[in-house]
Amino acid sequence: MSVLGADFRRDFEIRRYPFLAYGLVPLTALVLQAWLPRLLGPYAWFDLPLVVTVYFALGRRSPIQGTLMGAAMGLFEDALSHHAIGVNGIAKTVAGFLAASVGVRIDVENFTIRLMFIFVLSLLSSAIYVFVYRVLLGLDLDWGWFMALLTALGNSAIALVMFPLLDRLQLQD
Amino acid sequence: MDSFFTRYRNLLVLLAILLAQIVGLAVQVRRTGAGRNTLDPRDEPGVRLIRLWANALVSPPERLIHSSKLGADYLWQNYLDLRHVREQNRDLQQTIDRLRLEQAALLEDARQGQRLQGLLDFQQKYIYKTVAAQAIGTSGSDQSRVFYIDKGADYKLDRDMAVITADGIVGKVRDVFPHTAQVLVINDPTSGAGVILETTRIRGILRGNAAGQPQIVDLLADPRIQPGERVLTAGGDLVFPRGMPVGVVEKVVRDPERDSFIDVIVTPAAHLDRLDEVLVITSTEPRFSPQQQQDLATSEALKGPEAAAIKEQKKASEVMAERLPGLTDPNLPPDQQPLLDNSNPNPVAHPPQALHPDRFTPGAASGPAPATAPDSSAASKFEAGSKPSQQKPGQEKETTPDNGTTRPVPKTTPTPASSPGRQTTPRQAQPQQTQPQKDEPRRNP
Repeated sequence: MSVLGADFRRDFEIRRYPFLAYGLVPLTALVLQAWLPRLLGPYAWFDLPLVVTVYFALGRRSPIQGTLMGAAMGLFEDALSHHAIGVNGIAKTVAGFLAASVGVRIDVENFTIRLMFIFVLSLLSSAIYVFVYRVLLGLDLDWGWFMALLTALGNSAIALVMFPLLDRLQLQD
Repeated sequence: MDSFFTRYRNLLVLLAILLAQIVGLAVQVRRTGAGRNTLDPRDEPGVRLIRLWANALVSPPERLIHSSKLGADYLWQNYLDLRHVREQNRDLQQTIDRLRLEQAALLEDARQGQRLQGLLDFQQKYIYKTVAAQAIGTSGSDQSRVFYIDKGADYKLDRDMAVITADGIVGKVRDVFPHTAQVLVINDPTSGAGVILETTRIRGILRGNAAGQPQIVDLLADPRIQPGERVLTAGGDLVFPRGMPVGVVEKVVRDPERDSFIDVIVTPAAHLDRLDEVLVITSTEPRFSPQQQQDLATSEALKGPEAAAIKEQKKASEVMAERLPGLTDPNLPPDQQPLLDNSNPNPVAHPPQALHPDRFTPGAASGPAPATAPDSSAASKFEAGSKPSQQKPGQEKETTPDNGTTRPVPKTTPTPASSPGRQTTPRQAQPQQTQPQKDEPRRNP
């Protein structure tokens, strides 16, 4: 009964966006993530692809779509770096899946919950990144949790601005 | 069975995607013979297709954004913000003049160095050809310190080409795409460059740390390494030419894992966080490039005679400093001797009193004399501001200490061998700096 309830709620509250938004918004996030550090230098404490992944996962409330989008975003991020391809992919795959799965069950319209959610998912994504790199692959990685915390805070701050802007893109029935 | 897949399809899709990525990672990472896992132990010449796709997707918008920014900057800097341009232009012109002068003066040394290197079968590589490129983007991750430039295979860029700025080295080309290239910066932990400390001549390997600072690793503790020492490229890595500036030693820290080793943190000479335009060294040759030869010729033509004159002047000064006998110039009348020159800013030192005067003692030309140097009286007169007495040209007056009378002595031309007091008379040491300038025109009419 609870499953039916969740499906019903998902169908009721599911958000729809123009087809182009699914391509252009992630692409813009990837481009800005690659370009903005040139301006901000070491102060680029954000992960725009993760913010966009979480936003669409929460809005669509489809774990499969969240998983696919997270995987695609993470893989492209990895491809732009010189590290192994798949580390960010795994981290964002899990983040997208969790965002969509939790979005079915809780009220994500509440802004505070959204911010807390993206903060926790940012830290979780960093933890998965470190786990895969160090434990699964056994590679050396210099890591600082303070930077991960700053990134999580930065993601929350960006979400505070970006989510209302992206909400304007959704199609009204 | 269908209900199982239907019920758990989300989880199954997640597991499938995760499994595919884990398998992909396992293919990329290899275990070395030493038992360590490493990424890409072989330097594969190609580029993974997914990197090519990602680059093809992200680079065009990046170039567009970068071009727009450049256009706005150009508009602002060249049409709106023109304050102090004339002053800057004048300063730059002065700098160019000074550098041309220095270059012309060093030209002959460089040529001689090349000849000697040829004799020793050692060929110094000079930067022969470079390609200027703009930094258009980064990896977007602080774990991967790479950036992208707007030149690629279309400009004949290749892997492991050195990337520099006017300030110092930046990194090396890691991947080359059709129109862009990925540059690995020297502050990335996976980078490596052979460096040498300028004064202590200690060699080491430079790579980045977690904080994004380049550091020289695997060095034995050495107290000679001090902050402020310059770090240069050693030239042994076959990437960076020898002698290029890398940075300055910021501090020395102990290696946390090994007691006897230290890490030398280096402040990079190039501004690695704010890179706009870089140069990719596409060719190094054991000779100057045509552009460099043209610059040298221009410098020689513009400043060659001036530099040669300065060099000749210095050389003459050194020669005269060697030949300088003392303060007494035989070619000058006594009243124009440098000793009596009131314009001399350096006060004349009093000679020490001889304990056992002999015939070499100033003022005791024949036989032992009381140990009162006659020059000291002249010097005392000079210091007191009294005008010296007149004497005939070609004769020097020597004051006898007993009665204060003067007697002429024959005029001689002293040489270093014939001036035994040269090394010990302290008053001769100071005028050597000013004397050559007076003597130079006679030597080089």
